[in-house]
Amino acid sequence: MTTAVLRTLSMLYHLNPRWLYLAVTVVLIVPLMVTIPMPATKDSRGPKGVYDMVGSCPTDKVVLIESSWDQGSKPECMSQLECLVNDLCTRKKRFVVFSTGVYAPTFANEVIKPIAQKAGYVYGTDWVNLGFIKPPADNMGVLIQSFFTDIHATRPVDLDGTALTNLPLMRSVRTSKDVHMVFAVTYCPWQEWISFGKGQFGVPVAFGSAAIMGPYYYVFVDSGQLCGLFAGNRGAYEYESLTGIRGMGSKMMMAFAFGLCFIIAAVVLGNIGFWASMRLRRMQ
Amino acid sequence: MNSPLTVWIGAFITLAVLSCLIKDNIFYRLAQKAAMGIGVGIGVVLFWREVLHPYWWAHIQAAFNRTEHWSNALWLLVLVPGMMWYCQMSRKWFWLSTPVIGLFVGVAAGIAFKGQILLMLPQLASTLKPLNPWMLDGGPTRANIEFCLNNLFFLVALFTTLLYFCFTIKADNRAFRVPMKTGRLVIMVALGAMFGNTVMTRMSFLIERIEFLSERLKTLIHLVTGG
Repeated sequence: MTTAVLRTLSMLYHLNPRWLYLAVTVVLIVPLMVTIPMPATKDSRGPKGVYDMVGSCPTDKVVLIESSWDQGSKPECMSQLECLVNDLCTRKKRFVVFSTGVYAPTFANEVIKPIAQKAGYVYGTDWVNLGFIKPPADNMGVLIQSFFTDIHATRPVDLDGTALTNLPLMRSVRTSKDVHMVFAVTYCPWQEWISFGKGQFGVPVAFGSAAIMGPYYYVFVDSGQLCGLFAGNRGAYEYESLTGIRGMGSKMMMAFAFGLCFIIAAVVLGNIGFWASMRLRRMQ
Repeated sequence: MNSPLTVWIGAFITLAVLSCLIKDNIFYRLAQKAAMGIGVGIGVVLFWREVLHPYWWAHIQAAFNRTEHWSNALWLLVLVPGMMWYCQMSRKWFWLSTPVIGLFVGVAAGIAFKGQILLMLPQLASTLKPLNPWMLDGGPTRANIEFCLNNLFFLVALFTTLLYFCFTIKADNRAFRVPMKTGRLVIMVALGAMFGNTVMTRMSFLIERIEFLSERLKTLIHLVTGG
């Protein structure tokens, strides 16, 4: 290979990273503007487990959602909550939401309210938001034990301060026996749900987490301690493929695929540049 | 929360934070300091409004107003152990903080112990996986053979990884050299998967911000062109 070619290739290694930042921005904007259909693996165990568990929810029980994400984890958790609530409303399943993050109830309401209104869900009858519940001394195990023993004693009012006894749905939801499954969605869901929620009370538990936490939680899906898992936007996208209701997960996933292809190309080109740079140095 | 002004402030802050990719500048530092200050300020207000007031102060107030039973005023007594925590700051009164810390550590350890047992025992049980396809329903079908091979791979990965962390065995021992190397390879693959997922999370964060900015850009174009 000639010196001129090697010198050109070695420029890839010494490229100013700002060009990469600009390129990745352009690459990500395109799929956000133009809709391109992408294939999805519908039989992925994590989302399929949640889908099946939601489907088996009887009419006298509720799905309990712990939505504790806020601005910091919105890019991944919002799509997860959106696709689950979309499915719950489509399949007419009742649900109760609460948060262990102070800012989280507002974010959860922003996602749930439009979907519930569109589906004709009545607040207090079909769904309830209990708002923020602080785990005592930041110990989620204590909160789960207390919550699943007596929900009304643990949190006597909802987000707006209405007594639970005045909400028709909550009159029949009092202990873990009235909860069909738990779906905890946040950057890093409390693992106490697995040990106490599933281990002690026997309530099936599913998580929606950031992709970064996926490898840690997959082992619990494998052991059957989690009935399902959404790891990042991919989980939401696969769930949307199962339900057929396209939302934010699909939109994010397209840009995501473009971005990952760009990173792979950048890694390959960077390595070629590194190789050329080393070869050039040796020749000199 | 989504008023035009707050949305445009959000866009400005996003651009200010991203501007550090070009060069450290005053806008980036301003956004950084503002985020810290606002975070602490909001945290203090929310902690009072969402935790201390409803769970503690409201009951005391109600007891004094005689809308709740007088015994709720006893919640004032929790100030005593609460203040004891702060005795850590004094060398003279440090001993006063030890009972309350001991109590909290004891409770937390007890619950953590129970939690770990309930978390880890099913994990141990799930390592017992079938390896013989003839023992499974339907016999040695393709799906069953694949299932057993997957289980075999899992067990090899499990044992070689555990072996890698057996520091009582010399790494240059001939019998263990290959399994230990396999263990290291498995760990590296797992760490690679974790790093890949880290990239995915960071990418999601960037996509969300770019989408937010592109929406603002569209609005701006509409305003300028009068569309």
